[in-house]
Amino acid sequence: MAVSAKARSSAFLERASVEARFHDVDPVYAETRDIRTLGFVLFLLADCILFSSFIFAYLYLRTSAPVWPPVVDGKQIEHLDVAFGAMNSIVLFGSGVTMHFALESWKNLKKAAFNFWIVLTIALGLGFLSGQAHEYLSAPMTWTGSSFGASFFTLTGLHGFHVFAGVVFLTVLAIQANRGVYTGSKYFGLVAGTLYWHFVDVIWVLLFFLFYLW
Amino acid sequence: MTAALLERTIALIGSLIVGGTATLQLRNEWPVGGLAADVTKLLLGLMILGCVLALLASLDILGAFAS
Repeated sequence: MAVSAKARSSAFLERASVEARFHDVDPVYAETRDIRTLGFVLFLLADCILFSSFIFAYLYLRTSAPVWPPVVDGKQIEHLDVAFGAMNSIVLFGSGVTMHFALESWKNLKKAAFNFWIVLTIALGLGFLSGQAHEYLSAPMTWTGSSFGASFFTLTGLHGFHVFAGVVFLTVLAIQANRGVYTGSKYFGLVAGTLYWHFVDVIWVLLFFLFYLW
Repeated sequence: MTAALLERTIALIGSLIVGGTATLQLRNEWPVGGLAADVTKLLLGLMILGCVLALLASLDILGAFAS
């Protein structure tokens, strides 16, 4: 009974501490938050332009080729495995949903739930990268053998690098969050991490369509 | 059950779950204002589109299956 009362008291104090942090609004942070968000969105737009350059190069190569996938040594390259691509895409899209849950958990001061969702997001991101590695090993073309292979490996490699960077980003965010860097009112890093992860998801939507479905 | 059929089944079930959850998240995010929320809405909407593409691919409506 005494232990239970002590545990309740401890839980109450912890909750009060979290709520105190939630109401601790730093005026400088509040003023610069929107500017930071704008800066991060501009960074994502710059990244969009980088991907656009490669995507337009792919579109040019594809539309100027007489047949697609191209013919190499008298034999047409096989289409990519759509079933596997769809499954791997869902792994990545699922990680976008779990990252959104992680941010919402943090906003609602549910730290245990936040930890669960962000770890699940990182695991799904690593799962997607493993799927990409499998795809590379079983791809019916090479990087240097055809314009299809060059486009595929360059664009999905660039995207894979972004996913890897995102996994590192989210890992750092999880460590920072557990060390008390973010509070209930100051969590720009988590917002930036969520936006970045959604962005990586959306780029894959386009790549999935271009390489697997079109 | 072949590997391709298993992958299609996972993609089908996954796209329904992920797409449905993302739609609910978008609906909850809809009344929120601000740049971050607006960008999130856009990105969630595009992700739902991705789920629809994966769903159509898993049903063999889009794309050419390898086996």
